[in-house]
Amino acid sequence: MRLICAAAAILSASLASAQTPADGALKPPLSPRNANYSIDARLDAASRTIAGSEVIAWRNITQRTATDLQFHLYWNAWRNTRSTWLREATLGTGRNLPNPRDDDWARIDVTSIKLLASGGSAPADLTALQHAIAPDDGNADDATVMAVPLPRPIAPGGGVNVEVKWTAHVPRTFARTGAIGNFFFIAQWFPKLGVLQDDGWNCHQFHAGTEFFSDYGVYDVSLTVPQGWTVGATGVQRDRRDSADHTTTHRYYQEDVHDFVWTTSPDYVERTARFEHKTLPPVEMRLLLQPEHLDQAERHFEATRTALRYYGEWYGAYPYGHITIIDPAFQSGAGGMEYPTLFTAGTRWWIAPHVTTPEGVTVHEAGHQFWYGIVGNNEFEDAWMDEGFNTFSTARAISQVYDPNYFSPRFFGGFVPWVIPDVVIRRETDGNGLRSYRAVAKSDPQATPSYRYYPATGGGITYSKTGLWLNTMERWLGWPTLQRVMSAHFARWKFKHPKPQDFFTVANETTGRDLGWYFDQVYRSSNVFDYGVQELRSAPENGRFRTSVVVRRYGEATFPVDVLVKFANGERATEHWDGSDRWKLYTYDRASAAVSAEVDPNQVLLLDVNRTNNSRTLAPKGGEAATKWAMKWMVWLQDALLTYGALV
Amino acid sequence: MTASWVAWCDGLRRVRRAPAILAGVWLLTVLVSVPLALGLRGMLEQHLGSSLAADSAAAGVNDDWWQEFSDQASGLGVTFRPTIIGFSAVLDNLSAFVDNDHRPIVIVGAATAYVVLWIFFAGGIIDRVARDRPTRAPGFFAASGVFAFRFLRLAAIMWAVYALLFAYVHPWLFGDLYGRLTHDTTVERTAFLTRAALYVLFGLIVAACNLIFDYAKVLAVVEDRRSMIGAIRAAVAFVQRNAGAAIALYAINLLLFVVVLAVYAMIAPGAGTGGLSVWTGLAVGQLYILGRLWVKLTFWASETALFQARLAHAGYVATPVATWPDSPAADAIR
Repeated sequence: MRLICAAAAILSASLASAQTPADGALKPPLSPRNANYSIDARLDAASRTIAGSEVIAWRNITQRTATDLQFHLYWNAWRNTRSTWLREATLGTGRNLPNPRDDDWARIDVTSIKLLASGGSAPADLTALQHAIAPDDGNADDATVMAVPLPRPIAPGGGVNVEVKWTAHVPRTFARTGAIGNFFFIAQWFPKLGVLQDDGWNCHQFHAGTEFFSDYGVYDVSLTVPQGWTVGATGVQRDRRDSADHTTTHRYYQEDVHDFVWTTSPDYVERTARFEHKTLPPVEMRLLLQPEHLDQAERHFEATRTALRYYGEWYGAYPYGHITIIDPAFQSGAGGMEYPTLFTAGTRWWIAPHVTTPEGVTVHEAGHQFWYGIVGNNEFEDAWMDEGFNTFSTARAISQVYDPNYFSPRFFGGFVPWVIPDVVIRRETDGNGLRSYRAVAKSDPQATPSYRYYPATGGGITYSKTGLWLNTMERWLGWPTLQRVMSAHFARWKFKHPKPQDFFTVANETTGRDLGWYFDQVYRSSNVFDYGVQELRSAPENGRFRTSVVVRRYGEATFPVDVLVKFANGERATEHWDGSDRWKLYTYDRASAAVSAEVDPNQVLLLDVNRTNNSRTLAPKGGEAATKWAMKWMVWLQDALLTYGALV
Repeated sequence: MTASWVAWCDGLRRVRRAPAILAGVWLLTVLVSVPLALGLRGMLEQHLGSSLAADSAAAGVNDDWWQEFSDQASGLGVTFRPTIIGFSAVLDNLSAFVDNDHRPIVIVGAATAYVVLWIFFAGGIIDRVARDRPTRAPGFFAASGVFAFRFLRLAAIMWAVYALLFAYVHPWLFGDLYGRLTHDTTVERTAFLTRAALYVLFGLIVAACNLIFDYAKVLAVVEDRRSMIGAIRAAVAFVQRNAGAAIALYAINLLLFVVVLAVYAMIAPGAGTGGLSVWTGLAVGQLYILGRLWVKLTFWASETALFQARLAHAGYVATPVATWPDSPAADAIR
């Protein structure tokens, strides 16, 4: 048997190796490839400008005739303070740029847009027809979406080749895009088509709280940068040519992706490694590292391996065969972001052991290759479908490899970490972000389109609430069941654009249960879960003890919970409460008195916003705990007094 | 260096010979902190109620409960964070101090009260270490009373200087200048070193002021000065004349402070498991506080010793201990 297993492992490993694409090509095609970009771009690092031209081969794969084309011009979000992005940023907390210098702003100007001749149709210059639209909020000052009417409609199944030329100014980093010093991180940088759906173009303005949405295609991109500068980009470098003008043109190619990003800097240090697994295809890992983080190279690789391994085992294989990890420059603001086959991690010069820097962000962003890269949901509208799924998955993967890890505040301007080993980071609460969720639990129903979330609180709903309700499902239905649900969703929707109902349908089908009532509460409502023990009494009566327990639903949302009552003689009583009524009374006639009562003792319902009220004991230790912690705090206070007293 | 070392050793000796002073300032620290600690204790107990969360909080750390408490806390409660545990409490305070982070008003109030009490007792403490012999309670409080209003005037000047430093110089150094210096810095180590250099610069400015104000107090007591402006001018003159010795002595005392912190970093108790560990932790914490107070007294005592050693005559020249007439005698004066 062992021999058979070994043979099977060798066979699957060799099959996996055979499938490894080394040049960005994937056969057979994994996606519809209906938006294919061939781009030439030249960076003038001194003036921080990009001159680009692209030919987009677009095919209408909807049932709707297209009468215009709509493009994202994301960089116009940072053209001035009147854009929707910057207006929304001021609604939040601290996301607006303080006093930007003139050179810090961005812009992208389309200088030419032409339909190319194809299939007997004549070319047409559409440059004069381009105009900005603001489909989300009507903001006349927002120029992040450009519409161009077509001279002739494109019927379903038809296609068009469009040539676009543009110039752009690279900003000081906004939203992880831009430059600082010699570090350039160039994302969302080219005129990019929205997604045509059966109900029209889905081409949202750029919002402060949301990300992106595009069709899959083939990207063939030539980037001209100063000679000697290292380039990292989506895909695989196929060609590299030095020019007499001291520039080098790097050609990158990748099929079946929905975006293209690149970075360049003379300071990068390159390291490579390989991910290997007995059943998953190997992945070549390329790490572009800041010189001051050289000693952290292996930690980046190991964290990437963790994501590729666990996401691969749980959901499905990573098909591209290569991945690029970018360690962004200090205060570039480019860290912690996902792009197809490339992601930015983010670490610190001074890091501590048993703290998941850089692992946390690395696993998360590598994990986005699965939730965002391969399963391409609409991040404008349903950001929770990738960010939330990935928050849950990151916490789960981290707990497999990196536990225990500890709370580590940073002091002295945030430069100096200090590990507090008494405070252990828990996957269920810290990893999923219970605290973030609790603070904003009622701010928006999750079903609200993400771009309409209140910008300052959207993260708690997008990331944390989803992480918590998925982890609740894991604890309620069991990991094997949830894993089947998520892997089925992954398999069904990879290289497609799923909507929320698609996930709910998969969940119902896979579990064989109607989970609609659960999704109604966690997705369609902003109600909170809060169960508690209102009363616990235990009094002698006829030589025995009469115990009564009142449990209560303080929140509006409902969930079935267990109630555990413990007695002094070691007996236990476990009740299963459907949790729908406002309160429930349990009584017991036992030989000994009750000790404690607890709702949801196994902490299945991770969305419960107040766990302290979940239990009650007849031998409370609140005073003892309060004394202990007040004494510890007193030493802190005395130290604070002496610190300020040093000035006397 | 020899003079500084001798003065420092002398200062250590003088503090050792005045244990009641050390005990007194420790008691002062406890008296200011205990009411607030009791206030916090009440908040914690109320929040924990009869929940089982208290069991784990008593036996170790219940981080889930802690976060719930923090999320609804106000006033004192907002300062109850995991950074109070062990040596991170020291880093938390030092970091807040050098980064000029704002503390809740209740902490600022307590710190102000504490500083005022120190100002009141400073005269008695310096008088005691200057005389280098017991002054007993009446003498101590009499000297405290004599110098209290002078030191309040001095404190007004000190407040103005420190307010200038923390309200204007610090934001300029760590906001404007640091921002300009690091605007295009892409290497964190460079930014850290820049910030560290600014810490040193700001620390030197604060230390220089502190040094002058320390000697102003010493001169006010030893020379029975009434003008605090005069005391400051004399202190500046003294430090100028004895710059090497005064700075070296300050550095030695600073080193002593660092040693105390280093020792506490090694023995600082963690969260503990309840029971005896709670009291052991408190005892270690109070030993550390005593260490900090001992360092502060050593600063003053050694600076007093240095000043006295540089006088034309070796002895203590301040006026005799103030003694107050009984009431009938006071009547007789009339």
